[in-house]
Amino acid sequence: MTLPDWVEPIVHYMATEGLKGTLRIAVVALAGSAAIGIVLGTALTIRFRPTRMLIRFYIELWRGLPILVTIFIIFFALPSVSAQLEFDPFTAASIGLILWGSAQVAEATRGAVESIPREQHEAAAALGFGWVGRHRFVVLPQALRRLLPPLVSLLVNIIQNTTIAQVIGAAELLETGERSVERLTAPPPIGPGEVHAFEIYAGVMAVFFLMSFPLTRLAAYLERRLVV
Amino acid sequence: MLAVAFDWSFLSENAGGLLAGLGRTLWVSAIAIAGAFAIGLVLGAARAHRIPVVSQLASTYVEIIRNTPILVQIFFIFFGLPQLGIRLDAFTVAWLAVMVWGGAFNVENFRAGFEAVPFRYREAGYALGFGKFATFVNVTLPIGGRIALPPSINTYISVVKNTSLLYVISYQELTTTALNINALTLQTVETFTTLAAGYLLIVWTLSALIRLLESHLALPKDVR
Amino acid sequence: MKRILLATVGVGLVAVVTAAFGLAQPSATTGPTRARAAQALPPLPAEVKERKRWNIGVKCDSPPFGYIDVQGKNAGFDVELARWFSRFAFGKSNRVTFTCVTTPSREPALTTGRVDLVIATFTYTTDRDTRIDFSRAYYKATGRLLVRNDSPIRSTADLAGRTVATTSGSIYDRWVKNCYKQSKLLVTDGFTNALLAFRDGRSDTLMWDDTVLVGIAAADPNLKLTDDLFLPLPYGIGIKQGNDAMKRWIDSRLNIMRKKDAFVPILKQNVPARFFAAFSKNVLRPKQVFYYSKGDLTTQCT
Repeated sequence: MTLPDWVEPIVHYMATEGLKGTLRIAVVALAGSAAIGIVLGTALTIRFRPTRMLIRFYIELWRGLPILVTIFIIFFALPSVSAQLEFDPFTAASIGLILWGSAQVAEATRGAVESIPREQHEAAAALGFGWVGRHRFVVLPQALRRLLPPLVSLLVNIIQNTTIAQVIGAAELLETGERSVERLTAPPPIGPGEVHAFEIYAGVMAVFFLMSFPLTRLAAYLERRLVV
Repeated sequence: MLAVAFDWSFLSENAGGLLAGLGRTLWVSAIAIAGAFAIGLVLGAARAHRIPVVSQLASTYVEIIRNTPILVQIFFIFFGLPQLGIRLDAFTVAWLAVMVWGGAFNVENFRAGFEAVPFRYREAGYALGFGKFATFVNVTLPIGGRIALPPSINTYISVVKNTSLLYVISYQELTTTALNINALTLQTVETFTTLAAGYLLIVWTLSALIRLLESHLALPKDVR
Repeated sequence: MKRILLATVGVGLVAVVTAAFGLAQPSATTGPTRARAAQALPPLPAEVKERKRWNIGVKCDSPPFGYIDVQGKNAGFDVELARWFSRFAFGKSNRVTFTCVTTPSREPALTTGRVDLVIATFTYTTDRDTRIDFSRAYYKATGRLLVRNDSPIRSTADLAGRTVATTSGSIYDRWVKNCYKQSKLLVTDGFTNALLAFRDGRSDTLMWDDTVLVGIAAADPNLKLTDDLFLPLPYGIGIKQGNDAMKRWIDSRLNIMRKKDAFVPILKQNVPARFFAAFSKNVLRPKQVFYYSKGDLTTQCT
């Protein structure tokens, strides 16, 4: 079976440009979410009302808003507040995903840190560790083990939500797919004048499945191992 | 930077449009949530009881939906399927897409809930002379259903948030309505503040409901 | 990475604050008086000259104006125009970095200085003219309606109660919202999706630029165009507000291209031969010029 002529260049474009864009947003968003989320989540366990309430508000705000709305606010509304707050589609989408993702990680971190028995804190304190040292060397390494399955699940969610960047025109997988559909619909000399929306969007779905499915399995495996 | 007060007349001038958009968001969400509940209950039970064929089909459905982005699913249904002669209008695509997505996550919620019911309770049901179905209705469902309730409401919250993605097929829900209003009024700060407030109102209400239900429906300690 | 983290925290805080208070910056008022253009050709603006490169925003999903070709490169009428500017400025056609812009991101791309120019099917409106500057008009688009042969729609007067498909953020989108409140709008991202929605029967008509619709109607015997023409709105090149040196440079080069009849070969590369005649009425030619209409046509309802 040979593929039709239009397939090869489009696959090439979508792989080199679109998939690269998707992975770029996903990696930045995961790293940012984990970094901010773990700090906020640990800080949430401090018994100091104002910080707790502030972080709680941050979490409920960014978890409560649809990511699309968050990204719209960053991309469309912030520039009308200040010219310094104008971001390109990639940055705007990454920031939107980090706000949402860090809220998820913060909540998961709080649970993980609180699951570490008090004795561990006390023992570390007895050894002369301060609050930071206690968390950095004793509590967080143990909490991280519990945090791993939700982090892998988060990665799956982030990979899928990178597609929302398409709505503001970032060249990720879905957007490059849409551009390809547009060109193919155009009459000669530009394109063949054919509609291939079905094949292209089905292909995009398949690629996301191949990226996400192994990770979903991994998350489930890590979760089971933890229970034992 | 110059602080400018929020123009409150924006709300009164656009109340009609915004409320209509909010109404459509709630209506589509309601249909999708009802559907997702039914899908989750039936297929979740089939998965938990390992009913042949149905269980495998349900598993395939769950994995495909959970591992692909809902935005691509919406594109696929609205722009891809017509090539095969399947033409659905924006409203049908709207509730169908979010329902199919929510249903898949709900199957897992209910499966986990039913599987968390200890086998000895089901044995007790059989000992009382209940058949398989009667045991499910009288034993597994009340206990497992309660366990599945909080995570399933979380799924419903996601369903509501996902309706914002219907913007790409220009279904006139809250987000689409707000962006249309913004295009005409250019009151960007007012538009997006109102839009965000609308979603937070729905989502925070549902979250409060979860907490209420969790304490109200919590199983006694020894049943866990 | 570090920058994005900082930006995220910053945005998070700012968004929280603005949600509560609503801050806005006063819109910049500009208006250095326009100097009389000298007889000699205006010089290349310093920022471009120093960089030795253009940064230009183009569409990537709107053939034949801006799209991604088989090799994954930017191509189209607007893209060729950008290459001409590169040739004028540096003698080579490749001294230009293209940035893909979408309909709603065209203005931000300019105002942030991310690009020097936006050549992206940018329709002139008086409203937009308050925020950015436009070059002289280089392409004249006119709206038409595409309908099925058996459609009861004969003109825009029959649109009440009908569903109109077009692209989001376009001039047609705004016009229908303002003037045809009895009609339903189906707006999509990109022309193909609007066309698909119309072909699939999800809308009664497709409202879009005449030259593109002519090709669609010619290829499909079941479709036709209605007779009425509306919204004759030329495209201009978007320039940052107040950058008069840039506007003078662009306008002078567009005029050279007009005198050389240089738009015709660009058209030939990008539109089907049989529609060339229809398109050629819409570009600048030695004896063919057009100007912007004053007033916001999207709020002028007939």
